[in-house]
Amino acid sequence: MDTIKLYIRSMGMLLKSQFQYPASFFMQTLAQLVMEGGEMLALILVIDRFGHLGRWEPGDLFFFFGIMSVTFYLTECFGRGITGAFPSMVRMGQLDTLLIRPRGIVTQVLCSAIDPRRITCIAVGTTALVIGSRLSAVRWTFAKAFLMAEAVSFGFLLILGLFMIEAIFCIHSVKSVELVNAVTYGGRSACQYPATIYPRPLRVLFTAFAPFALVLQVPAGYILDKPLFDWPAWTAFLCPLSGAVLFGVIYMLFQRAMHFYRSTGS
Amino acid sequence: MSYIQVEHLRKSYVVRKKREKGSLLREKSRIDALSDLSFEIGKGELVGYIGPNGAGKSTTVKILSGILTPDSGNVLVGGRVPWGSRKEYVRHIGVVFGQRMQLWWDVPILDSFSLLRDIYRISETAYQKRLAELTDALQLEDILRTPLRLLSLGQRMRAELCGSLLHRPELLFLDEPTIGLDSISKLALREFLRWENRENGTTILLTTHDMEDIHALCSRVMVLGHGQKLFDGDFSALLSRYDTVRTVLVRFEEETELPGIPSVSVSREGESLKLVYSPKELPTAELLERLRQTGTIREMTIQPQNIDHMIADMYEEMAL
Amino acid sequence: MKSYLTVFRLRLRMELQYRGAMLGGIICQMVFGLILIALYRALYASRPQTMPVESVVTYVWLQQAFFRMLLASDPDLTDKIRTGAISYDLCRPVNLYGFYYFRSLALKMTGSLMRAVPMLLFAAVLPAGWRIGLPSSIPGLILGICALALGLLCVSAIENINMGFTMRTLDSRGVQAMLNLLMTLLCGNILPLTLFPDSWQKVITLLPYAQLLDAPIRLYTGVYALSDAVRVLGVQVFWTILLVFFGTWLWRHNQKRLILQGG
Repeated sequence: MDTIKLYIRSMGMLLKSQFQYPASFFMQTLAQLVMEGGEMLALILVIDRFGHLGRWEPGDLFFFFGIMSVTFYLTECFGRGITGAFPSMVRMGQLDTLLIRPRGIVTQVLCSAIDPRRITCIAVGTTALVIGSRLSAVRWTFAKAFLMAEAVSFGFLLILGLFMIEAIFCIHSVKSVELVNAVTYGGRSACQYPATIYPRPLRVLFTAFAPFALVLQVPAGYILDKPLFDWPAWTAFLCPLSGAVLFGVIYMLFQRAMHFYRSTGS
Repeated sequence: MSYIQVEHLRKSYVVRKKREKGSLLREKSRIDALSDLSFEIGKGELVGYIGPNGAGKSTTVKILSGILTPDSGNVLVGGRVPWGSRKEYVRHIGVVFGQRMQLWWDVPILDSFSLLRDIYRISETAYQKRLAELTDALQLEDILRTPLRLLSLGQRMRAELCGSLLHRPELLFLDEPTIGLDSISKLALREFLRWENRENGTTILLTTHDMEDIHALCSRVMVLGHGQKLFDGDFSALLSRYDTVRTVLVRFEEETELPGIPSVSVSREGESLKLVYSPKELPTAELLERLRQTGTIREMTIQPQNIDHMIADMYEEMAL
Repeated sequence: MKSYLTVFRLRLRMELQYRGAMLGGIICQMVFGLILIALYRALYASRPQTMPVESVVTYVWLQQAFFRMLLASDPDLTDKIRTGAISYDLCRPVNLYGFYYFRSLALKMTGSLMRAVPMLLFAAVLPAGWRIGLPSSIPGLILGICALALGLLCVSAIENINMGFTMRTLDSRGVQAMLNLLMTLLCGNILPLTLFPDSWQKVITLLPYAQLLDAPIRLYTGVYALSDAVRVLGVQVFWTILLVFFGTWLWRHNQKRLILQGG
């Protein structure tokens, strides 16, 4: 509870400091809008040319795009400490100043950055969700709304976990950090579309290793009344938990990496 | 039992050498940052910790503050092992890195402080009392609501100190705290450290290259070189050992040629003569007598050797 | 010429020093290529188009291979602009535009060639349907390479214009991000320009961004017939000249403004 309070207070303070430069903030937020708008434009053009993708109708495609975009950018907004700021924290020695404070490292890293510019990306994603849900005539129920929230929350953990792999690479001062982008940004790009359209290796990658399909797309299929896989309906509520499992495993690896950091010294 | 006990501390780093032509693997070599370092510090002591760059000072501080785990050796600080349970341990220490700010850049320092209060879980009453005390001692009242980035370097350093002392640490590490500060700020900072040490009994370990800091603050000093302790004791005793050369500036009433005196080097500096001599070989009284015989002295000053020169001599002698 | 070779060599050495990062980047780029191709194959399976899927696959690989060309390439210059050190440079009586133009050209060429070679090798050994296609004809290949060279001249001019604009704004990150997006979208990196609505393509292919990679790729894959070549290269030359002129004017204008302000 105390940790959540600290996180919220830190976020408040970071927001305050971001708004010290309103003009720059405005420009960058606008740039983010154009960026995610460009991604959505690409989707619209694909739908314009191809109409549908197998059994997935335009509305479904908007919905898949939206759920990924909302989750991914929520993570980049509130988890910026992990998704963006960590490498420079290691390089500039800021990690040392976190180590001399009586709080968990992950907590402190998360408390040290926020990226409110992503708000426009999240807005684009929400728009896509609304369009998708209209076009596909989704009948919203309490269960579906709950599942949506569940998917987005565990998706947050999943994406945070994947970015933590990059953080671990950084601690071990491995240079090929860009490699991790293949699963983070690559995963985002690929899983804007339902994973079932991909050949087996990619499907396995995004189901078993970076389980975007389980965490976001199985629930999306349930909400659209078009199951992603031929699994019973209740699995939709269970699958997102895999995001927490992945986060847990990588969290432990991160702790081991911190142990390594403290014993090697950089 | 002493407050800080360090026994046979060892730490080495693996350094990757630059790859040589023709060989595929990069050679790795180990560098000993600390080799068998032992010392004790009592509660409430204010100790200076000096040595040339790369001597292992910051490695020691990193180990003592729980950031690094040593390869071997024992350390107890107030009965706790620094690299044991980190969160429990760091509650009792404060660290100020001279060139690394830990306060938030764009927000008023008061906001930073209240976030630190939450991080260290300081109770509101204790926080208010301590903040008032430190604000007063560090003269921060006027700048509490100013963002850090708008402050001068001296003000920033004072704010940093306040931030690292809010939770009343028993032990404070200072790494080059006066670097880049102007004279007034330096004096104020030293005054504050003396106050904190005296009033709150805080044990302070001061790492610095500024010998004036050590001279003004620490009675005890430890000298580190090549990861080993080379000297530990009274600073003035250390100085007297290297205080071998004095300088006399003398100005006569009229232009006078000085007769050659053995073991004294003479040079002209403006209207004065500059004489450098060693009191061991030529007692000061004797030199003065000779000068008086030469002519009428209008003005004269005797200067002890510059501390930095002495330290440089010392490092040289210790083959650092 | 010698100094450009030096830039080239220095860059090569620098890139080799960070070969770990480069390798990571190349592998990441390959995965992105595979994902995109998987997507377009699925889309084609559900509704085939007049343009064959193989042509889209080739398009994607060539885009991925030369992607580096599009990115702002000169960290020194961006740093100088950010810290304001550029104003010292601007006060010097040399042709700064020319210096940075050729520098960026050299950097882009080395940066993208070093990545393109392994990428294209990888793309060539993939199974059928995934691998990069052969050029439509030998003249098509030669014309494609010529067009790529012109694209390189053109993209350096665009980069100098971007830099010229960012020099005027205090905080350049927003503008930079927007220009980068415009670049990746209108170059065909996010979605091949050949898949844009046909009516849009008539306009987009005439824009400067389409001259960088889209035009060379279309010559290579034969979407542009050999008889179109003169027109295509003509448009490229036209834009390059225009953009260089505009850039030179912009930089000179910045220079004057700085001198008036007194640095």
